[in-house]
Amino acid sequence: MAQQPSKSGGKVSRRDFLKLMAAAGTVMTFATFVDWGKFLPNPTGQSNERQKVELPDGSQANVNSFQVNHSEAVIYPRSDDPVLNKEAFRTWQFIRLPEELGGKKNDVAAFRMYSMVCLHLWCLWKYWPQDGRKRGECPCHGSMYDPLTGKAFAGPASLQAPPSNVLPRLDLEISADGNIWIKPPNWSVNGNGVVGYGRFLT
Amino acid sequence: MGVSLHRENSLTRFLRWTYAGVDRTLFMGMKFTFPSRFVSPLGFLGMLTFVIFIILGITGALLMLFYEPILDRAWNSVKTINDVIPYGFHLRNIHYHASNAMVMVALLHMYYQYFSGRYKIRNEILWVTGIILGVLTILEAFTGYDIIFSERAELAISIAASLTNSIPIMGPQMRDAFFGAGFHDFVLRFYAFHVFFLPIVMLGLMVVHFPRFLVFDVPMVMAITGAIMLTGGVFPVDMGLKFDPNVPPGITVPEWYLTGLYAFLRSAYDKFTTGVAWPGLFIFALLIVPFIDRYKKFSWKDRPIITAIGITSLAQIIVTTYWGFYIDPDRTKSLLERLVIDPIFLYLVMILLVPLSFGFTYMMIKLAKNAEANAKIQPKKPTGKSSINLTEKWIYGIFIALLAFQVYLNIAAYYAVLNGMKNYSLFIVGIMMLVFAGMFHVFRHARSLQKAPTPKPTMPPMPMKAKAPSLTKTGEAQTGQITDGTKILEDAAAKQKTLASTKSGSSSSQSSQSVNKADSATLDSGEHKLISDEKK
Repeated sequence: MAQQPSKSGGKVSRRDFLKLMAAAGTVMTFATFVDWGKFLPNPTGQSNERQKVELPDGSQANVNSFQVNHSEAVIYPRSDDPVLNKEAFRTWQFIRLPEELGGKKNDVAAFRMYSMVCLHLWCLWKYWPQDGRKRGECPCHGSMYDPLTGKAFAGPASLQAPPSNVLPRLDLEISADGNIWIKPPNWSVNGNGVVGYGRFLT
Repeated sequence: MGVSLHRENSLTRFLRWTYAGVDRTLFMGMKFTFPSRFVSPLGFLGMLTFVIFIILGITGALLMLFYEPILDRAWNSVKTINDVIPYGFHLRNIHYHASNAMVMVALLHMYYQYFSGRYKIRNEILWVTGIILGVLTILEAFTGYDIIFSERAELAISIAASLTNSIPIMGPQMRDAFFGAGFHDFVLRFYAFHVFFLPIVMLGLMVVHFPRFLVFDVPMVMAITGAIMLTGGVFPVDMGLKFDPNVPPGITVPEWYLTGLYAFLRSAYDKFTTGVAWPGLFIFALLIVPFIDRYKKFSWKDRPIITAIGITSLAQIIVTTYWGFYIDPDRTKSLLERLVIDPIFLYLVMILLVPLSFGFTYMMIKLAKNAEANAKIQPKKPTGKSSINLTEKWIYGIFIALLAFQVYLNIAAYYAVLNGMKNYSLFIVGIMMLVFAGMFHVFRHARSLQKAPTPKPTMPPMPMKAKAPSLTKTGEAQTGQITDGTKILEDAAAKQKTLASTKSGSSSSQSSQSVNKADSATLDSGEHKLISDEKK
């Protein structure tokens, strides 16, 4: 409470009391609008359920059929809106690692899923499986990504300070029938990363 | 908290410095009065219209973040706002109901100015810009409810486009210029009109329309805001059906401010005459009112013809507005038969309303004058001003109770949102605004009590209108205007207010310069009173 030295012996004056009550009333009235700030972020990118890894042909990716050293572009999170499904920020590169990096194993360790948005200037990179390449390459300024970790090792993206040198990554799981699923992500730099910004390599 | 409310610190110094700097701008040329007690909102309906305009601007700007003015996406994006985006439902409903409130308050504002004769004496420009603003307000509301692109919106657009097309000179060219080529253009262009062209023109006209003296009554502003939210909670606006050119649309009527025009259109008479000429004539008549009103007096009682014309227009607006809504419920008849209004019947009623309204007006004036004369003969009864005398303790008690209620409402609103009861939470937030209005009123009253020197405990504590000099510094200027019919134009007087001088009482306003009568008509507060004083 107000502690100014007043003539009335350190007590709160009537006028101050009234002012404080008015301030409290104003705060109480407009406090409710703080929660209205939730209007601003777009909630359609949030998902609490696992989602299929849906390949461009419409089928779900399966451990037993997906080739080693091969990649596909996958939409995540998939929406009912065809325009949003073309969104670069929803485009992910689903990779089965080459044999030397453990791609032969029939578990999640053989798969990677990285955001295709290059951390440099947001072009779409992709995985090149040819011998001697076997890496992600960005067509715009030649940033190159290590498929094992998602870390940029060459080009402008590799020069960016962490977390902006490691691609956001989605966690996968495989059900008993071999189908591959995407686990609900945690969109933070310490979790699955922020698309177009990066992720801390832990 | 060890915060002193009196001590000058760097922040208050900075604010004071900023305020002193703003003092030289155009904005400070307007003098805001914050009434120190309840005043009738009729005197500042224009300010309320502006406040609603601001509410519409804020909610509309937020809705723009998610709305997509694309032919096949418009309706879906509104549905997403309504159903998916948190608080999207709230903002959409506030925006919708505020648009209706704005049209309604603007209409009330116009008719109050009309009947009180305030458009006279150098207020013609204010009146004319006001009428244009009113037309733009309706166009703004119209373009707003069209860009959802539901079935009803499509019907409204088709009517608007065909009416423009029906104008004999340049009509088709105007249609192409304003509406574009097809549905895709209609949606996109209506959106552009709605969010930029019309508001920017309105803002420009408002600069001209604003009088220098404005009343900003916080409780009334908050009450209006609360009422809009409350209405949104009780009557949430629906989505309508998405427009599909392969599906025959159901029977729809436009928003209430256009059903009057719709009634004329439904008479199936010539499109140009009913849909363009009649409303154009109506608007033109309103525009020239201050130039044909040659009465020397202000009161409606002393301007019988003008009052009668006003009553006639009101009667015709009310009748046609209702008629436009009414559709024969008999489903065995054909759609056309149910929709079409017999033009002879309609126009006969319109013509009949004229003598009826004139007769009614003359009767009312006669009665009012009679009552006035009677009141003069009879000795003045002590007006039973029942002032509620509460001790300060009780006022604090009420204040704390309201605060506690506000806390409860906050929690209730939050849980309502958590449980997905969107309309209930909007309703509660509306109540909160109303409680704040009440709280502010109590605060204002308590403050005036504190400032009063408490001469006699028997005297009513509220400063009486036009009698007791207001003892609060905010009411100072206003009381001056009312009592002496003068206006404080001097910068000195304005500065007294802005610098929050603690000068007490009415002595300063008494000494203030008296300005010519013509200027005094621009006052926005207590002016009606002033005018009736002058008459005597």
